[in-house]
Amino acid sequence: MRKFLAILVCKMGRAVGKLVGKGSSMPGKFALKICPDILRQVELPQHVIAVTGSNGKTSTVEMIAAILRAGGKTVVYNEEGANQIEGVTTMVLTHATFGGRVNADVLLIESDERYAAHSFQFFHPTEFVITNLYRDQMTRNGHPEWVYDAILPAIAPETELILNADDPLSSCFADGHERVQWFGLDRCSTDTDAPTGVYHDGAYCPVCHAPMEYDYVHYNHIGAYRCTKCSHCKPKTDYTATSLDLERGSLTIDGTVTIQLAFRSIYNVYNILAAYAACRRVGIAQDTIAGVINNYILKNGRMQKFILGNHHGVLLTSKHENSIAYDTNLRYIASTRSDCVVLVIVDAVSRKYFTSETSWLWDIDFDQLNVPHVKKILLAGQYCNDLAERFSFTGIPEEKLEVQPSIPKTAARLQDGAEQALAGREDLYVVTCFSDRDKLLTLPGVKKEA
Amino acid sequence: MEFRFIHFYPDLMSLYGSYANLSVLKRYLEELGNTVVVESVLPGQEIDLAGADFLFMGAGTERAQKAALADFMRCSDAVKAAAERGTAMLFAGTAMELLGKTITDAGGTIYDGMGLADFVAVQGPHRMVGDVYGVTDLYSGAVVGFMNKCAHITGVKTPLLTSLAMGFGNEAEGGPEGFHWNHVFASELTGPLLVKNPRLLDTVADAILRQRNASLPEERPANRWADGSYAITAEQLRLRCEAQKTTK
Repeated sequence: MRKFLAILVCKMGRAVGKLVGKGSSMPGKFALKICPDILRQVELPQHVIAVTGSNGKTSTVEMIAAILRAGGKTVVYNEEGANQIEGVTTMVLTHATFGGRVNADVLLIESDERYAAHSFQFFHPTEFVITNLYRDQMTRNGHPEWVYDAILPAIAPETELILNADDPLSSCFADGHERVQWFGLDRCSTDTDAPTGVYHDGAYCPVCHAPMEYDYVHYNHIGAYRCTKCSHCKPKTDYTATSLDLERGSLTIDGTVTIQLAFRSIYNVYNILAAYAACRRVGIAQDTIAGVINNYILKNGRMQKFILGNHHGVLLTSKHENSIAYDTNLRYIASTRSDCVVLVIVDAVSRKYFTSETSWLWDIDFDQLNVPHVKKILLAGQYCNDLAERFSFTGIPEEKLEVQPSIPKTAARLQDGAEQALAGREDLYVVTCFSDRDKLLTLPGVKKEA
Repeated sequence: MEFRFIHFYPDLMSLYGSYANLSVLKRYLEELGNTVVVESVLPGQEIDLAGADFLFMGAGTERAQKAALADFMRCSDAVKAAAERGTAMLFAGTAMELLGKTITDAGGTIYDGMGLADFVAVQGPHRMVGDVYGVTDLYSGAVVGFMNKCAHITGVKTPLLTSLAMGFGNEAEGGPEGFHWNHVFASELTGPLLVKNPRLLDTVADAILRQRNASLPEERPANRWADGSYAITAEQLRLRCEAQKTTK
């Protein structure tokens, strides 16, 4: 009876919530109050795929859903992004019959990494993709090892782990676990011999803390690592990017599947690899996967094109408090060849209140912008002083920098082009977070492109 | 003057942009016409602390902290002697806990600290996270920062921040934070606390200079970005403190 009531309340709550435009967590919260172990009582599909990690969760889940649907599977997933237990409960019960059976071939869950153990206390994923573990949202997450410890109890022995072989920390989830599938990237032309970036989280082995060595590094500390003392090293991969040419945008997986990248970022490559691995485990054909991923454009708007004055703009969404997300987008800008202007906006670190937490700015390798084709760098938002102080420790010439707290005024500078450098037709790259992006994109002079 | 800085474990203890404390201090002294040489110490590497002007260790994860502690204990006597002599040093984040008598991890294992101070650190399964707005006896004006730690520290008799209007201190919310004795500065405040607090930077720089029988000049180079950042942060946190008082 409680099960039926919980499902009924959740369905009704969700229907009302949709009408009034409210979030998707509340119905699940009510359902859990009525029947705390409701998630144990429902009948789940044969495949329950969970995706967690610091970066790339949403993109990977979106891609998996698109591929599975193209492969003829019915998929239920938390499209609205509510990724803690309440949101997961809403999603499951909304798609369940009143008898408690979820009508789908696959239940696909993007799970908050800190709360995965909580979300999966009543059921276990059949396949669990862990994309990576990086420094991320220090204001809530502590540090990557703390998040590792939080995820660990969420892993059940019967779950098949799908892990990133190139990440020295998240690969540790395989220790003592029998069912593991690995995805990773072979050596490619853009690799370096040693870790890059401001800090070196891969300098020491996460298992024994002895120094690590690298055969090659794709970015930051992601690559082919080897502990100098214990056996921790990059494992042999089951799903492999065997060839990657970011300049031409071509990726080959497992030597046979060729993919044209819509977004030529190595970040995107890892999301594709994770999605590819998960979908292969569910039995989707290589051709079907390639067909979907070829020129796949993410729906979540992480890369938004726009016009501002004479500038063709690209907004690269980089999570604040996540230095690797920033580093990856800065690397992308550095890899472009045309003259450009870069705008970095940090206006709100927390959506709730002003916080003094700006240490993450010091973890970002802004020196990547110290290249001739970056003609000007504009720093805007409430934290522009913090940004300027951080930039003052880079090798970027001071005359390239312009600091302005007001985002509209900064946009106006780009629009009317009072100075030659800004009046041109250079490409414009904007690096900022979800919390700040619309402060630029909704300005009257900004015309978004599809 | 030429100054010699020692940076302990720059890769192992490198969380939260801790390194920026050293960077800003180096640049500040250089802007005052000095030369600063920074020597990094890696685990197992020989180090001579004689003649060092400043010792620094940044924040690390709880596991990295234990690895650092295991190596650092060989330097314990030399660091204590340097502290007695008045050598300036800053231990930021979890590095602060190394100065005490013991560190107890979340599983209950007790590790000996170097015993420069009488406090003990007990780590737990929860993190204390949030902005900090407090005061110090070292100068007037607020100290701002952010706390993200999992340890309660008890037994500090001479804290760096004497009281907090907002945030977690050594033992409790609103209580004193950090440790200060002679020219030893320690704080669990996250990341680049010397960047965020220009007057604390002055204080540490002055401590270094005093050991060389010098002091900060009256006329000093202004840093408009750091000063601007501090002004906004201090004002915003002050407003939050007032709002919290009103709602209580």
